[in-house]
Amino acid sequence: MEALKWPIIDFLQALSTGLLVGGTYGLMCVGLGIIFGVMRVVNFAQGDFMMLGMYVAYYLVTGFGVLAFLGPYAGPVVGAILAGPIVFVFGWLLHRFLISRVTGARVVSADAEGHYMQLIMTLGVALVLSNGGLILFGSLPLSVQTPLSRESWEIGPVFLNQARTVAFVLAAAFAVGLYLFLTRSDLGKTMRAAADNPIAAAYMGINVDRLHRFAFGLGVGITAIAGGLIASSQSFQPYIGFDFVIVMYAGVVLGGMGSILGAFWGGLTIGLVQQMSTLILPYQLQNTAIFVVFLLIIFLRPQGMFGRVAERT
Amino acid sequence: MLKIRSLDVAYGGLKALSDVSLDVEEGQLVAVVGPNGAGKTTLFKTISGVVTPVSGEIVYKGKNLLAVAPYERAKLGIAHVPEGRQVFASMTVMENLEMGAYARRDRQRRSDVLPSIIETFPILAERRHQLAGTLSGGEQQMLAIARGLASAPDLLMLDEPSMGLAPTIVDTVFDRIEYIRRTHGLTILLVEQRVAEALELCDRGYVLETGRTILSGSHDVLMSNTEVQRAYLGS
Amino acid sequence: MRRSGLGGQYLAIAAFAAVCLLVGWLVHNSYYQLIITLVLIWATAGVSWNMLSGYSGMISFGHAAFFGLGGYAMTIAFVQFDITPWIGIPLGVLVGMVAAIVIGLPTFRLRGHYFALSMLAYPLAMLYVFEWLGYQEVSLPMKREAPALYAQFSDPRAYIALALLLLVVCMIVSLHVERSRFGMSLTAIKQNEPAASAAGIDAWRWKMLALIVSAGMAAAAGGLYAIVLLVVTPQTMFGALVSAQALIIPMFGGIGVFWGPVIGAAILVPLAETLNAQLGNILPGIQGVVYGLAIIFITLLAPEGIYWSVRDRFGSRRAAGASKPSIARAAAIPAAAAAQQFKHPAAGGEALLSLNSVSRAFGGLRAVDDVTVAIKAGTIHGIIGPNGAGKTTLFNVINGFLRADTGSITFAGSELVGRKPHEICRHGIGRTFQVVRAFPRMTVLENVIVGAYVGTASNVEAERLAMSALERVGMANEQAHAIAGTLTTKQLRLMELARALAPRPRLLLLDETLAGLSHDALEDIVAIIRQVNRDGVTIVIIEHTMQAMMKLADHFSVLDHGKLIAGGPPASVVKDAVVIEAYLGRKWMQRAKDPVA
Repeated sequence: MEALKWPIIDFLQALSTGLLVGGTYGLMCVGLGIIFGVMRVVNFAQGDFMMLGMYVAYYLVTGFGVLAFLGPYAGPVVGAILAGPIVFVFGWLLHRFLISRVTGARVVSADAEGHYMQLIMTLGVALVLSNGGLILFGSLPLSVQTPLSRESWEIGPVFLNQARTVAFVLAAAFAVGLYLFLTRSDLGKTMRAAADNPIAAAYMGINVDRLHRFAFGLGVGITAIAGGLIASSQSFQPYIGFDFVIVMYAGVVLGGMGSILGAFWGGLTIGLVQQMSTLILPYQLQNTAIFVVFLLIIFLRPQGMFGRVAERT
Repeated sequence: MLKIRSLDVAYGGLKALSDVSLDVEEGQLVAVVGPNGAGKTTLFKTISGVVTPVSGEIVYKGKNLLAVAPYERAKLGIAHVPEGRQVFASMTVMENLEMGAYARRDRQRRSDVLPSIIETFPILAERRHQLAGTLSGGEQQMLAIARGLASAPDLLMLDEPSMGLAPTIVDTVFDRIEYIRRTHGLTILLVEQRVAEALELCDRGYVLETGRTILSGSHDVLMSNTEVQRAYLGS
Repeated sequence: MRRSGLGGQYLAIAAFAAVCLLVGWLVHNSYYQLIITLVLIWATAGVSWNMLSGYSGMISFGHAAFFGLGGYAMTIAFVQFDITPWIGIPLGVLVGMVAAIVIGLPTFRLRGHYFALSMLAYPLAMLYVFEWLGYQEVSLPMKREAPALYAQFSDPRAYIALALLLLVVCMIVSLHVERSRFGMSLTAIKQNEPAASAAGIDAWRWKMLALIVSAGMAAAAGGLYAIVLLVVTPQTMFGALVSAQALIIPMFGGIGVFWGPVIGAAILVPLAETLNAQLGNILPGIQGVVYGLAIIFITLLAPEGIYWSVRDRFGSRRAAGASKPSIARAAAIPAAAAAQQFKHPAAGGEALLSLNSVSRAFGGLRAVDDVTVAIKAGTIHGIIGPNGAGKTTLFNVINGFLRADTGSITFAGSELVGRKPHEICRHGIGRTFQVVRAFPRMTVLENVIVGAYVGTASNVEAERLAMSALERVGMANEQAHAIAGTLTTKQLRLMELARALAPRPRLLLLDETLAGLSHDALEDIVAIIRQVNRDGVTIVIIEHTMQAMMKLADHFSVLDHGKLIAGGPPASVVKDAVVIEAYLGRKWMQRAKDPVA
C-alpha cells in the first residue's frame, strides 16, 4: 500500500494542476472557438493576441503601475480583465483594415483557396505581432507578480497554487458568463446563428460582416484575458504565442470545430493532458504530448467531442 | 408591392435570368414555376441581395430595392424562406423563431407574432425546446416557414418548400401555406417545382424556362395550360 | 502567350548562375558573401516548398521538419561519427525523404486547414524532442587538417558556389517537373482534385512523389545551412520562422513556378539580413517583422506572387496586340478516317454498363434507392428527374467518388464498386463536370493533355491523343493554342469534353454539359455529342434542358427520390403519367384526368 501512495498522490497532483491549468486553457480556446465558429477563420495569430494580453496586464499592473493603487491582490486580477477590452479594440481595428479583406461572408462558403489566404495572412500578422513585441517589450521574460504566485493551498495531499486557483476561478467565471451571453442575449444568439448557418443568418437581416468584426474582437479579447490570468503563474516573452497556437488548436479541434462552448471542454482536456503527461514523460516533452493528442484527434475523430460531422475535413 | 422589370442576372458565367419581369400585388399569392435550372432560385437570391443583377430594376413598396444593402432588406418586411430549409440546426425551435424575429427588433414587440405562429404550426409548440437539427424534414420546413412569419413580414418568399420531402409531407406543407394565405392576408411569392400545388394556390403565376418568362397569367389561365407541361417535359 | 521553350529556360538558368558567380567574385566583404549564400540557400528552401505546395496546392506550414531533419542528420553524422558533410548531406536527403513518407501517409488524408495545422505540428514536436535529447546547441568541429574533405573552406565564396550548385540542381529538377506530366498532374490536382481523379490521375501517388522530392530538397538546404552557420540549434532548424520563411519566400516571389522563390529570396533575405545587421540591436526581431509584412502585403496586393503579377501585366499587353501565333498545322485527318480510328467494334446493343440494385444513403436519406438499369453500348442514355432526385449522386457512385452501399456496377464485365475514380477512368469511363475549372494561364491543348495521360505513358503520344480529341470537338485549329482564361462558356464546355475524350473512353458520363447555353451553342454541342456517339462512344447524360435531350437521347431513365420510376424511349417516357406526376405533382395529374375541379 505504501508503494502505491506516492504514485496516487502524484496522479492527484497532476490531475488538480491539470484542472487548474485547463480552466485557463479552456478560456483561451473559447476565444479561438468563437473566431473559428462564427467566421470559419483559422487565426494563426491567436497565440500572439494572448501574448498581448499578458503584456497589457503586466504594464497595467507593474510596468506603468496604473493599477498599483488596487494593491497586490486585486491589481493583477483587474489587469487581466482589462486586457480584454483593450485587445478587443485592437482586434476590431485589425479586422476592419486587414483581416476582412481575406475573410467575410463570401469566404465562409468558399473552397480551400479561401482558407489558405486567411491562414497565410494571419501567419503574417503573427510574425509581425510576435517580433514587433520583441522590439517593443524586449526579450526578458516577465511575469505579473502577485503574492499568490508562490503560495499554495493544501487540500489533503495535494497542493493548489493560489495564483493558479484564482486564475481558474476567474476563467471559469468568464466561461460561464460567456455561456450566458451566448445562450441568453440577442447578440449572443445572432453569433450562434451566424456560426451555425451564415447564409440563413444573412436572410434574417443579420449584418454578417459586422458580426464577424465583433466576433473577431471578442475572440481575441477573451484569449487576451486568459493570457492575463496566466501571466501571474508563469513567465512569458514575446514569442510565447507560437508555443500556444497548437495548444489552442488542439483544444478547439478536440472540442469540435464549430462548437464555441465545446472549445472550453477541449481546452480543459488539453490542460489535463499536458499536466498528466508529466507522470510518464519528461517535463520538456509535455507539449509534444499535446501534439500527439492533436494529431490523433485529427486522424481518428476530426469532429471532436461536440462538432458536427458535416464539418469539412 | 413588388415590381421587377427586365432583370438580367449572370451567375458563374452563365445567363441565369434574361429580361424577367414580374408583379406582385399586395395580398396576392404569386407563383413562379419552371423546371430545374430555370432560374427560380436565382430570382429569389437577387431579391434578397445575395446575387447582384447585371441590369434591370426591383421596386419594393415604391423603393429601389437594389439600392438597399442585403441585410437591410429583411428589415423592410421581406422574409425569405430559403431552399432546403436552412434552419439553425444547433439552436432550438424557439431560438430559430427568435432569429426570424430579428428583423423586427426595431419595429414591434416580438411576442405578438408567437400566438399566431403556434396556431398555424401546433407541432412546433410541442417541440419548442428541441434542437432544430433533430426535427424531421417536414417539421424543419414548417419551422423555416414559421421563422419567416416571425418577422411579421409584408412579403413572404418561399423557395421550393417541397424539395426533398415525401409526397404526403408536401401535402401538409401546402395545406399550411394555404392556411397562412387565408388567415394572415400576407403577400406571398412562391417558387415551386410542383406545378399543380403552386398554381392551385396562386392568384397569378409565371412560368420560367432557362432564365426567361415563357408564360404568365392568372390562376385560371395557367391551370390547365399544356404549355406548362411542355416547359417541363418538352413534349 | 506561349511558354518559352526548354532551351530558353536553360539559358536563363545559366545566365542567372553566371550573374551569381560574378557578383560573388566581385564582392569582397565576407558579410555580403554570407548574405549571398543565404539567399541561395533560402531560395532552395523556397523551391522545395514550391515543389509540394506551389504545384499541388497542399499548403505546408511545416517544411522546417524536413529542413531540420536534413540539417541534424548531417550534423549528428559529422559530430558523432566523423562522417564528412559530403556524405552527410546526401544522408540528410535520404532521411528527409523517409520522413516525407512517414508524414505523408497519414497526413495526406486530411484536407484544408486540418492538413495545414498538422503540418505545423510536426516541426514543433521535433523541436521539443531535439531539445529534450540534449541538442540545445551543437557546434560543428573545425577540421584543420583536411578542411575541403569536410566541406570547410576558408574562402566564403566556395560556399556561394556550393549553394549555387544545389540551387541550380533544384531549379532544373523543378523545371523538368513543371514541363512533365508530373507537373501537369499536380496542376490538375491543384485546380480540381475530383476532376483530376475522374480523368485518371492517381492523385495520392503524385502528391506523395511531390512531397518526397520536396522533402529531399529541403533537407539538402538544411544540411548546407548547418554547414554555413556552424552552430546548430533546434530553434534555427525547426523553428516557426524557418517554416514561415520557406513559405513566404515562394509566395512572395511567385507561387507554382521555380523562378518565384529565387525572386522572393533575392528580395527578402538581403532586406531582412541588412535591416537586422543595421538595426538589430535597437529593433531585435526586425527580420520577423519584414517577413510578416511581406506576406501581408502580398496576400492583399498580389496573392500569387510578384512573378505572376508582373507577367500578367506585361503578358496581357503583348497578347492584346499579338497576331495569331503561327502553329505548324497538323496534317488534316479527314473526318471519316478519324471516325474509323475510334469506332469500337459494334456491340450490337448489349449492355456496356450495368447497375444492379445500387443503393447509397446519407444518414437516413436514401439518395440512390435500389437502382437497376442497363446502359446499352453505342446509345445515348439520358438520366432525368426533378430536382434533388439523386442524379448527380448516381454519377458519383458510378464514378467511384462514392461507394455504393449495396448492389453492383459492372462495366464491360468488370466490377466497379470499390474502385477508385482514377482506376475507373483507366477502365474506359470518362466524366465531365458541371463547373469547368480550367488552368487559366495554359493553352487549351495543355488543359486537354491532362486527360490523355491515363491513356499512354508517352508524352508525345499524349499530345497526339489530345490533339485528336480537340479535332473531334472542333477546336483543333488555332483555338487549340488559345489561353484557356479567354474562352467562352461554350468553348470551355467543349474543352472539358475534349479532355474527357482524350484517353478514348468507351463510355462518357456527361454532367449537365448543356446547362445555360444559348440556343446556337446548344445546337452545336448537341451535334458534336451526336457525332462522338456515332464514332462509338456510349454516352450517359444528365440534363435538365428537356428540349435538347429529346433530340439527343435514345433512351431515358427517370429518377425521383433516388428511385428509378420509368425508362424507355423519350417520346413515351415524357407522356408517362408516373413521370409527369414526379415533375409536376400528383394534383396536376389528377386535374389532367379530371379537368372539372
